[in-house]
Amino acid sequence: MAKSWCIFFIFWPTLALAVCWMAPAWGWWFPGDAASTLGARIDDLFYLILIIVSVVFVGTHVGLAYVLWRGSSFNEPKALFTHGSHNLEVIWTIVPSGILLFIALYQMDVWADYRVQSAFPPEAVRAPVAEVTARQFEWRIRYPAPGKTLQLTPQPDDLYTVNDLHIPVGRPVMIQLRSDDVQHSFFVPMLRVKQDAVPGLVIPIWFDSVRSDTYELLCAELCGWGHYKMKARVVAQSDANFKSYLAELHREQFDDGVPSAATESSEAAETASKSE
Amino acid sequence: MRNRASFLVPAALMAVVIGCEQPQARFELTERTKDLMSPARTAVADAVEENFGTPNDLVAWLRFPIRYGVHPGHVAGGDGTVSADSFPAEFDEPVASDLSGAALRFTSGKYQGQQVPVGQFDADAGQLVLGAVLDPPVEQDTQFQVVGDVLQHGRMLYMTHCMHCHGVSGDGEGPTAQYLNPRPRDYRLGIYKFTSTKQTDKASTDDLQRTVKQGIPGTYMPSFMLLKDDELAAVVEYVRFLSIRGEFEKKLVDELYGDYSTAAVNDRLESGESEDEIESQLTAYIQDDLPSTVDFASSDLASSWTNADTEAAVVVPEKSRVPDTLESRKRGRALYVSDRTKCVTCHGPKGRGNGSATNDYWKVPGSNETYDSRGLHDLWGNKLSPRDLTRGIYGGGRRPIDRYRRVYAGIKGTPMPAFGGTVLKDDEIWDLVNYVMSIPFESEQPSPGNEQLAVTVSDQPR
Repeated sequence: MAKSWCIFFIFWPTLALAVCWMAPAWGWWFPGDAASTLGARIDDLFYLILIIVSVVFVGTHVGLAYVLWRGSSFNEPKALFTHGSHNLEVIWTIVPSGILLFIALYQMDVWADYRVQSAFPPEAVRAPVAEVTARQFEWRIRYPAPGKTLQLTPQPDDLYTVNDLHIPVGRPVMIQLRSDDVQHSFFVPMLRVKQDAVPGLVIPIWFDSVRSDTYELLCAELCGWGHYKMKARVVAQSDANFKSYLAELHREQFDDGVPSAATESSEAAETASKSE
Repeated sequence: MRNRASFLVPAALMAVVIGCEQPQARFELTERTKDLMSPARTAVADAVEENFGTPNDLVAWLRFPIRYGVHPGHVAGGDGTVSADSFPAEFDEPVASDLSGAALRFTSGKYQGQQVPVGQFDADAGQLVLGAVLDPPVEQDTQFQVVGDVLQHGRMLYMTHCMHCHGVSGDGEGPTAQYLNPRPRDYRLGIYKFTSTKQTDKASTDDLQRTVKQGIPGTYMPSFMLLKDDELAAVVEYVRFLSIRGEFEKKLVDELYGDYSTAAVNDRLESGESEDEIESQLTAYIQDDLPSTVDFASSDLASSWTNADTEAAVVVPEKSRVPDTLESRKRGRALYVSDRTKCVTCHGPKGRGNGSATNDYWKVPGSNETYDSRGLHDLWGNKLSPRDLTRGIYGGGRRPIDRYRRVYAGIKGTPMPAFGGTVLKDDEIWDLVNYVMSIPFESEQPSPGNEQLAVTVSDQPR
């Protein structure tokens, strides 16, 4: 019975380590490896901190368990009583501060690259790929016309989609994030991007995708009763595919409904693909 | 305190074990139906329930052009065993969807014409389990068809995504509807605002799918872009089902309302008729005439909804868009302020949706009364602001063809009239479209000294 507290304190680090070990297999971990360069660096930071706290957590519990184990046997000599040690206190203040300071300095690069606008990749800032407007309960997207730059105000030749953001793969892209009504949050877990959309602000965010893939875009700020349905997709595709996507969007958006040879053949292709 | 707490704990535990009672989903009758005298109300309710069922027990009336999901097949031989409640089934075409709960109707053999519910179908084993016992069991090669899996799928999706605004019956009175402006669509009139079809035609299936996929900008209808193709098709079929159900009910009530509404019955009693006379008349009507009314109403609905999906119903411009030049926009502006279109009356001189009509009291269509509040109203009785054209938000889509169709066929259920074919020629509609699409990009400043009517026509490239 006297040793039950030792078991108690050693149980938790064992459980924590076991769960961390099994978590990826159970799907309790990240939704896959980060698909963006910045995301990989954010993951590295996460793992660094995870290792530091694991060592401290396990070490503390092992220490506690050891002390209790020793104390529970009655053949030990009488315990030492002390009013405290100044040196010891200095050590346990300086060591954690040093670790925290290290983390604070070490992560600054990533933070700056992610959030500080002057550190954004210049090629992404030069030509924002789209404006994304969050709205109860959908994402409305505005692209500049092919070959033009995105303006802050809508232009007559802009292209519009909803819940479907396409980006070119393999290079940094920037979007302008806004909100039409309440606060929302632009969250693409696979790209490790999360940014609140605030009414009245235009917030630039940049990210990239290292592979051609389709990602989930979610709202991560409880924005109302339809919050759960505010789901869209981000499609990362090759430059050529992205260009042809915009061209197709342009063709569709300026469609005057008069059947021409070109539209008829593409419609036939569409029905063919639908019936598959 | 202690006593009360000791009572609360078991009570809470019981609540956890038993759970809260699930409210039963049911189709509500319309207000007009409820206003009929009791035997008439019952007759209408029975006719509607018989032909459309309840939310948990739908009826697929094959007369209507709804894609319920129909899978013909036959009882196969081979390894599977035929028992009283299951048999090996072979479908003419492979079935990938979940058939449980769908209806199985025998089209040959000793059970011909009879229906049983499907328990489940295991596509890999080819074994179909029935939700009922057939004694004696079916024979090999009996033909059957399984009906309704698409409708069932649509109902599930509708209940998940649409019901909380549009309501179980599609009446636009779901629990969240009260927070919305504009109000969610009440499907039961069978009228949808933004369609590609002509003024008198219903919405096509493609129109409804497009609306679900794209959402309606400027309203609370969000985009359901990520629904898969079969989910989109299923949920739209269910919406069409609800629409047809509502219209069917309305058509029956329309026949009875003039003579058997509360007000009409009171009038008749006052004018000397006795209650027995009225009731016996009603009984005679229900026996002799209601079946033919049901028949007429359903065939009418079937043909109008079938027609909406034909090519003939779609508005297609004869001429392609007039080049979007300054001259074209000026011609469009001239039309906009002209007496032929009267656009200005509602949409205002600058397109802000504040024309003089928004200050008038308007007559309720089909009656001599006016609405209680100033301004325009839609067919559902909701107050309606004319579109503010300066904002560049278009409910029915922003493609030129969408704008063309709005002008050509109007917006159904609203005071926006149809100009196509009669009032405006193709070129004129395109001029108007070019002008309307340039309104959001006009310069903000009116020219000095002419504030009232000044409008600068934008000459930016489209």
